[in-house]
Amino acid sequence: MLDLFRNIFAPPRDLILLVAAAWIGMSLTEKRAARSHAEKSLVSNLIFYGVLAYLLGGRIFYALEHLPAFTQSPLSLISPNTSAFDSWGALAAALIAGFVYGQRKGMLFWSTLDALTPFFALLAIGIGFSHLASGAAFGIETTVPWGINLWGAIRQPTQIYEIIASLVTFGVIWFRKANSKPGSDFLLFAALTSASRLVIEGFRGDSTLVLGGIRSAQVIAWLILAISLVALELLKPRVIPAEVVEKVEPVMETKRKEVKRNAPSVPTGATTTSKKTPSSKTKSVTAKRKSSKD
Amino acid sequence: MQPIYRRILYGFILLAGLVWIFASVDKTGASTAGRIPAPQKGFLAPDFALKTPTGQTYTLSQLKGKAVLVNIWATWCPPCRAEMPTIQKFYQQYQSQGLVVLGVNATAQDNPLDIVPFVTQYGLTFPILLDETNDLGSKYNLRSLPSSFFVNRDGTIADVVIGGPMSDALLQTDIETILKSPAN
Repeated sequence: MLDLFRNIFAPPRDLILLVAAAWIGMSLTEKRAARSHAEKSLVSNLIFYGVLAYLLGGRIFYALEHLPAFTQSPLSLISPNTSAFDSWGALAAALIAGFVYGQRKGMLFWSTLDALTPFFALLAIGIGFSHLASGAAFGIETTVPWGINLWGAIRQPTQIYEIIASLVTFGVIWFRKANSKPGSDFLLFAALTSASRLVIEGFRGDSTLVLGGIRSAQVIAWLILAISLVALELLKPRVIPAEVVEKVEPVMETKRKEVKRNAPSVPTGATTTSKKTPSSKTKSVTAKRKSSKD
Repeated sequence: MQPIYRRILYGFILLAGLVWIFASVDKTGASTAGRIPAPQKGFLAPDFALKTPTGQTYTLSQLKGKAVLVNIWATWCPPCRAEMPTIQKFYQQYQSQGLVVLGVNATAQDNPLDIVPFVTQYGLTFPILLDETNDLGSKYNLRSLPSSFFVNRDGTIADVVIGGPMSDALLQTDIETILKSPAN
C-alpha cells in the first residue's frame, strides 16, 4: 500500500499532492472567511498573489544567485525544473506580496491570518503526504512494529506522524467555536504545528545538529511554541476576579433598579429587543423580603 | 479554564518541550548530514560498483575527491535523450577541472541492444554504466527517469534533480557547485 502510494507520487509527482492540498485549503478558506470577518474575494486574491509570488520569487531569487549561468542561457528561467528554486526567496516574495496586497486593500492583520489558517493547515497535511511520497524528512532506524522500510532500513514513520499531527491540528482549527478573539485561530495553529514538530523532530533521522547533538529544528519549534502561547494568552479576554465581582455586583444591581424605575412603560403589544430576568441574587433578596413581611 | 490553570498548563508544555529536546539529543551524531548513505541532498551518496559495456568497473567510493554527476537514464526516455547533449557539452567543458560524469543506464528496464547505438548517436564520451540488476536503482530509490545526483568531492550529495530535461543553467550551476566543493 505504502509502496504503491510512493510509486504513484514519486518526485516530481509529489507536487500534485501539494497542489491538491493548496486547492482544497483555498476552498475551505473561502468557506470560512466570513467567520474571521474577512472578505472572501480578498482572501482568495491574497492566496492567489501569494502563491504566484512564491513561484516567481523562488525562480527569480535562484536566477539572481546564479546570474552568470542564467545570463548564458536566459531560457532556463522558464524551465520546468523544480530544483532551480530558492525556497527562502520564494517565501520572502510571498510574504512581501501578501503584505503589500493586504495593506492596499486595508485587510485586518489578525483576521486575515485567521481566515488563512485552514489554508496553512491543509498545506501542512499536503507537505506531510509529499514527504511520505518522496521519502524526505525520514525517521531514525527503529525496531518498533510500525516502522517503515526506507533508505535500506526500518525507520520511524515520521512522515506518517507528520500527517496525523497535521490532520489533528486541522481538526482542532476547523471544529473549534467561532467566539475567539482575532488571531487566536492562527496562533493556535502555530502552537499546535510547532508542538508537533518539536515532538516528531526527535524521531527524525535527517536533523541538522548543533551544540552536542541538539536538533536545531526543535529549538526553533520550541521558540515558536513559546511565542504562540504567550501571544495566545495576551489575546484572551481578561477574567475579572471574584472579589471584584462581589464588590461591583451590588452597585450594578442598584443601577439596574434605577434604570427599571425610570424607564417609560412599554405599551401593550410592543416588543422589546431583550428581556432582562432578575438575577439569582435579586430573586433571593426578593424572597427574603417576602418572608420578612410574612 | 481559569487563567492561572491555563498558564500552568502552558508552562508545563514548554517545560516538557525542553525536556524532550534534551532527551532526544542525538549523542551518536547518527543523523548528521553526510554520514548516512541516502539518495538525499546533504547525505552521503550510496556506494555502487557497475560495469561499462566493455567490462570496466567503476566504483563511486573510489572517485572520492572528484566532483561526480550520476545521471540515470534509458534509451526510450525522451527527457533523457533531450538532456544528453547538454551533459556531454558540460562534461567536455569541465572534465579538466575534475568533473566525472557517470551515465548509468537503467538496463533492468531498457533494451541492452539499444544502448551502444544510443551512445554513438549522441557522441557520448563519458563512461556509460549498466545497472542490470537494478542495484543502483534500489539504492537511489529510482522512480523517475532521468534522475541526476550531483556528488561533492567529499562524497555527499549536493543536489538531486528528478525528471528532466535539466536546463542548461541548472546543470551548469550544479556542476560548478560540486567542482567548488572541498575534498574533505
